[in-house]
Amino acid sequence: MSDIEASKAAARAWIKRERRAGLGAARPAIALGFAGTVLAIGQAFCAAAVLTGVSFAPALTGFALLAIGRAGLGYAADRMGFAAGAAARRRLRTDILSRLSWARPTLARSRHSAELAAVVVDKIEALDGFFARFIPAATLAAAAPIAVALTVLCVDRTAGLILAAAGLLVPAAMALSGLGAAAAARDQFLAMTRLQTRFLDRIRGIATIVLLGRAAEETAALRRAADELRTRTMKVLRVAFLSSAALDLAAALALILLALRYGQQWRAGTLADPMAALAVLLLVPEFFSPFRAFSAAYQDMFHATAAAEALADVPPMPPAPPVREIRTLETHGVSVQFEDVRLTWDKSRGPALNGLSFRVPAGETVVLAGPSGAGKSSAIELLLGFVRPDSGRVVINGRDIADLVPQALSGLTAWIGQRPVLFSGTIRENILFARPEATPEQFSEALRAARVDSFVEQLPNGLETTIGEGGYGLSGGQAQRIAIARAFLKNAPLLLLDEPTAHLDPATESEVLDGLRRLAAGRTVIMASHSAAARGVTGRRLDIRDGRIQPARGAA
Amino acid sequence: MIADFRRIFGLWRGRALWLGAGIAVSLLALAAGMGLMTVAGAALASLALFAPTLLRGLGVVRVAARYAERMVTHAAMFRALADLRVWLFQRLTINAAGGLGFRQAGDVLARLVNDVEALDGLYLRVLVPVAGAIFVLPLTLILIAPTAPLLALAVAILFVLAAFVLPLSAYGAARDAGTRLSGAMGQLRVAVLDSMTGWREIRAFGAEGRMLAAAQAREAVVLQAQDGLAEATARAGAGAFLCAQAAVFAVLCAAGADTSQTIVAAFLVLAAFETIGGLPRAGAYLGHAAAAARRVLGAADAPVPVADPASPAELPKGTRLGFDSIHFRWRPELPPVFEGLTLDIAPGTRVAILGPSGSGKSTLAALALKIASPQSGQVILGRVDLATLTAADVRSRIGWLSQTTHLFDDTIRANLLLACPTADEAALWTALDAARIGDVVRGLPEGLDTWVGEAGARFSGGQGRRLALARALLSPMPILILDEPCAGLDAETERDFLTTLNEVGGGRTIVLIAHRLTGVEKLDRIHRLSAGKAIAAAA
Repeated sequence: MSDIEASKAAARAWIKRERRAGLGAARPAIALGFAGTVLAIGQAFCAAAVLTGVSFAPALTGFALLAIGRAGLGYAADRMGFAAGAAARRRLRTDILSRLSWARPTLARSRHSAELAAVVVDKIEALDGFFARFIPAATLAAAAPIAVALTVLCVDRTAGLILAAAGLLVPAAMALSGLGAAAAARDQFLAMTRLQTRFLDRIRGIATIVLLGRAAEETAALRRAADELRTRTMKVLRVAFLSSAALDLAAALALILLALRYGQQWRAGTLADPMAALAVLLLVPEFFSPFRAFSAAYQDMFHATAAAEALADVPPMPPAPPVREIRTLETHGVSVQFEDVRLTWDKSRGPALNGLSFRVPAGETVVLAGPSGAGKSSAIELLLGFVRPDSGRVVINGRDIADLVPQALSGLTAWIGQRPVLFSGTIRENILFARPEATPEQFSEALRAARVDSFVEQLPNGLETTIGEGGYGLSGGQAQRIAIARAFLKNAPLLLLDEPTAHLDPATESEVLDGLRRLAAGRTVIMASHSAAARGVTGRRLDIRDGRIQPARGAA
Repeated sequence: MIADFRRIFGLWRGRALWLGAGIAVSLLALAAGMGLMTVAGAALASLALFAPTLLRGLGVVRVAARYAERMVTHAAMFRALADLRVWLFQRLTINAAGGLGFRQAGDVLARLVNDVEALDGLYLRVLVPVAGAIFVLPLTLILIAPTAPLLALAVAILFVLAAFVLPLSAYGAARDAGTRLSGAMGQLRVAVLDSMTGWREIRAFGAEGRMLAAAQAREAVVLQAQDGLAEATARAGAGAFLCAQAAVFAVLCAAGADTSQTIVAAFLVLAAFETIGGLPRAGAYLGHAAAAARRVLGAADAPVPVADPASPAELPKGTRLGFDSIHFRWRPELPPVFEGLTLDIAPGTRVAILGPSGSGKSTLAALALKIASPQSGQVILGRVDLATLTAADVRSRIGWLSQTTHLFDDTIRANLLLACPTADEAALWTALDAARIGDVVRGLPEGLDTWVGEAGARFSGGQGRRLALARALLSPMPILILDEPCAGLDAETERDFLTTLNEVGGGRTIVLIAHRLTGVEKLDRIHRLSAGKAIAAAA
């Protein structure tokens, strides 16, 4: 619960901060909106002048010109609102992507890729209305009615007071009916989002549902969930719509009171200035229209709150580490040393590494063998810089890797995991990913060395074959050969292998191991492996259990 | 476009009463609103005799009707949308189990969900205001035409322009931008998903900057398409505003002859045009909704992979599973998977089917589950050709666990009960223990009521597999096909799991699909798939 409270508080703080920032960006749109109200006031007087016969041609011309001006202002305000929303989305998306690319390793165990992608794509999109509409509308709802009321006050004090009173009724009634309702409506909005998530989840797993023979039950459950949500939502809306009703009531009240007042004066012959009276009546809708715009944009605030909670869950970027780049020469190779390294991912599950120490001299191959959960992958992830040890040191060429800038570290290492991720794009793009500036010679050399060329030749589009979602599906062995080609192309002195053959059948496994042996030549290699696959690799074997090296059984 | 919307409205026929009531109340609110403005004008011009009473009455009706309108239209919309979701879900259970779901086209499905959401506004933003416009136009003309026929004509032209012509042209402009937008959005989603799934590669190759730049480039395309939409919307909005102003201008031009009448007309015209202010924007929205409707209906109309027979045979008692000279390919342009596959699995036996990837092991499961049907040859359950049975009947006999088996974002208990809703607590624990995950679940503070997260995200890959396995073991099906059940498990857990599997038979047929054996499996028979045929090997 306290987690949820903390995330809500963080979201509130985020909204407050962004609202202040957004206000600066929204200033032109607000100015245009305000200018629109000023022109509308002018128009009301022009129309009143024509209708009461005070002036015809000049007032008519004025009316037309002001109308064109207002259309232009409205158009410009729309466009500026869009620009503000687009700029905010661009900024926030870059920010969240950078934060995620930093925090991804710590989130890897708790958050699904699709969920994070939804934050980056959908939640940021949902913020558009907040910046494009809500922020300008919130300011205009305060400023524009005041301008109208002041004008009316100048021509007819009583009318001005009536309008002001009706205007004050709006926030008062909104607060009265809306205070509790706003919180409830927000929760309801989140419940609605959850129903949509549930629907998505059920659709994703539709094959599982059908094959378990539960289609009818799940359909009924979906119907029940939707019905229940509707009943609860309508209960909330019943109250929430009262604030809209208050707005309608205030508008109707002001119009009726003013119409009756002027009608009476007219009949009694005491109406001093019919033109002003008519202008005041025409201004009543203008007085309330900013309130309406605000209440229409209010839902954008809920969207923003939901998005803010998701964004607040992603940790901020850490300060850059002090830059103390080490000097390494690829030709001299890289030595690696773990010194009493301890690491705990999750306190409830105990330490992953519990005093791990070992040394790999340059150019040597070491196999870390042991069951899953022994700490093999954690050791590799430390070397990749995905995590920092809780205590102890990881040392490369005599320097603590904590002192390295990430770029220097990634320049030293090549990594192949259990299932390489192939990005959507062509096979060529996927291999060049390792080193975009590679020459054609280096590229085809990597293809040959990894034996990618042999299977690519058989594809109709060769290297230009599109892979990834909706594209050609490569087998596990082919994907792994692409990963090996990437590593060849990168030509880094330290090679990290994390169970690279775990998902392959024996024939494919031996092919891949063959490629890995060629790749290992002349490099420092650390390979994590459960026992069976390790046999295919020549090198020193270290048994790792419960986060530390087991003493060797007999001579190695 | 029209046909798509007509079908969606057709799905809502059952809610016609609610939807109609919403429109009726909204028209009442409109009438009261226009009356209020007009009488206010008349009161000023001292034309209305009973102005105070009339105004008060109209004011009350206006406020009450607006409130009722909001309540009724929202209640109607929620009902209609729920109907649409349930309908789509039902259709997908019929045609997507083998298509979308079996091969996990996650992006297509995700889009579908957004598309249903995009249909939200169809009723509130399009149907209700259009009904309002159709109602307001004649009302306005009846009130103006008797005294100023020419003015009425001008107002009518401007009204039609603002209420119908501009929204349609906004729809036209938005349709192209909308199509471009949904394409660009898909590209952005793919780029972001790539950087979220491929983060290890990205970190290892120091490609953060490049991936960010790629995402930004895709985002720029999205923003450009949205800019086009916003431009169309803003233009339509400005156009509608100018129409309204032109109408008032026309009224003003007619002033002079009869001031009082003109004042009333001015208020009337203002009120009339206010009701249609949102329509041009709705036109732009419609461009987006049309594409969404097309995709939703397209998914719902996808062909059923294997149609059920018109008069299905009775489900046999026997559980022998046989494949008799099967020839099969997924699509005509793809190479054949089976060329004369013959294979017999006796009831209650444990069988392994081995073969390298691509040899058709999973296709075998698809054929047995009626997700696909062979081009020639027969799949036999008991003594009956599968083609004569309904898919639901077949699936009540054959359970399936694959790598794409989905864990739902729900509790462990709910996930397990999906396989057997009547199972008691003890049965759940037996299944969990058999899948070697019982101890892990016991160690969780919330036990069986622990939330598993999206696609089991709160558990490691291996643990998630074991939960799915527990569910498969819990299902009462006499035949269980386990498609690579140990993928992602480490050697020790795999061994443990296969050892338990040796014990869980209970007279069930177990078909183990794998690319290799570990040696601990107790099997009655091993079949190797090769060159589209099965070669039996002794156990």
